[in-house]
Amino acid sequence: MMNYIWAGMLVLGVIFAIINGRLNEFSEGLMKSCTDGVYFIIGLAGIMGVWSGIMNIAKETGLIDLVAKATKPIIRFLFPLGLRKDTIAMILMSFTANLFGAGNSATVFSIKAMVMLDEENNRSEIASNAMCMFIAANMSMIQLVPITVVKIRSEAGSINSGSIIIPSILAGLLSMAASIMVCKLYEGKRI
Amino acid sequence: MITSVLNQISLFFIPGIITLVIFFGIFKKAPVYDLFIEGTKDGLKTAMEILPFIIAIFIGIEALVSSGAMQFLESLLGPVFQFFGIPKELISMVLLRPVSGSGSLVLVEKIISQYGPDSFIGRSASVMVGSCETIFYVLAVYFGATSVKNIRHAFSAGMVGYIVGIFASLLACMYI
Repeated sequence: MMNYIWAGMLVLGVIFAIINGRLNEFSEGLMKSCTDGVYFIIGLAGIMGVWSGIMNIAKETGLIDLVAKATKPIIRFLFPLGLRKDTIAMILMSFTANLFGAGNSATVFSIKAMVMLDEENNRSEIASNAMCMFIAANMSMIQLVPITVVKIRSEAGSINSGSIIIPSILAGLLSMAASIMVCKLYEGKRI
Repeated sequence: MITSVLNQISLFFIPGIITLVIFFGIFKKAPVYDLFIEGTKDGLKTAMEILPFIIAIFIGIEALVSSGAMQFLESLLGPVFQFFGIPKELISMVLLRPVSGSGSLVLVEKIISQYGPDSFIGRSASVMVGSCETIFYVLAVYFGATSVKNIRHAFSAGMVGYIVGIFASLLACMYI
């Protein structure tokens, strides 16, 4: 599926660039964005290294087992088939990092968690229920303080830049409930 | 008040976890330094493994934005969105948010400076960024790191969550 989506994006881009006479912007944009991608990963690589290191300590010392035990009820609800303890820990780290708005760290935990879920799924080409549930919950995870937006607002002279926090959390919770419900509905269906 | 409390909690997240893990490790007399190095190697490998997927999604999105295809999509979908009660000032936000995190931040800045941070439009745009995820981007990058080709209901779950998030943002800004 990704083949068609990706090809579609590029082909549509070329067609519109020709129609709009923006071939120059198009080419420059493409070259700039692939460099941006590399910069992004370079920035991410350091963070990924640090957190993988820290998580490895937690895993080897048994801290992860304690955390996995403490959060069993939530994990049971989201992933009824059960998961390896270190996968659970990575998933929890990803959720909490999202919750606390640790942006890049959250990305790192999420990618690691997906790789681990992939291993548990025997590197199958078909996503497991757990993968879908994780990504759904993760995509819609609320953020306690959307710090960047609050900052943008206060710089723009807002009288109450934090006034959007409660609405954001409420909207986020609704969106999360909807995503999780869709997953639960589909889980029984096999392809 | 709530804001500053939540802010403080967020500030302690990273230092808190690092302290906890290190102290627990020392308490258990584990070789924390060696374990850290071992894990870090693994993390760097993952970072390099996902680079191709990141480049692919970055140029794909850029192709749509810089060619003006996104603008066309906006004008096409505008009437549909307005029919469902989404103000026309926010249509570009609704369309850009799922694909680009940095792009939607630039856009929210633009919207806020144009309509004012405390206007309904300004607040709604802020809440959308605060509560809705960059779902297309997340799906591409996260699944990109795996061997999955068929993502099953992950797409619908993300999409439904996103749409609910958009409407919930508007409602929340209307009543709170």
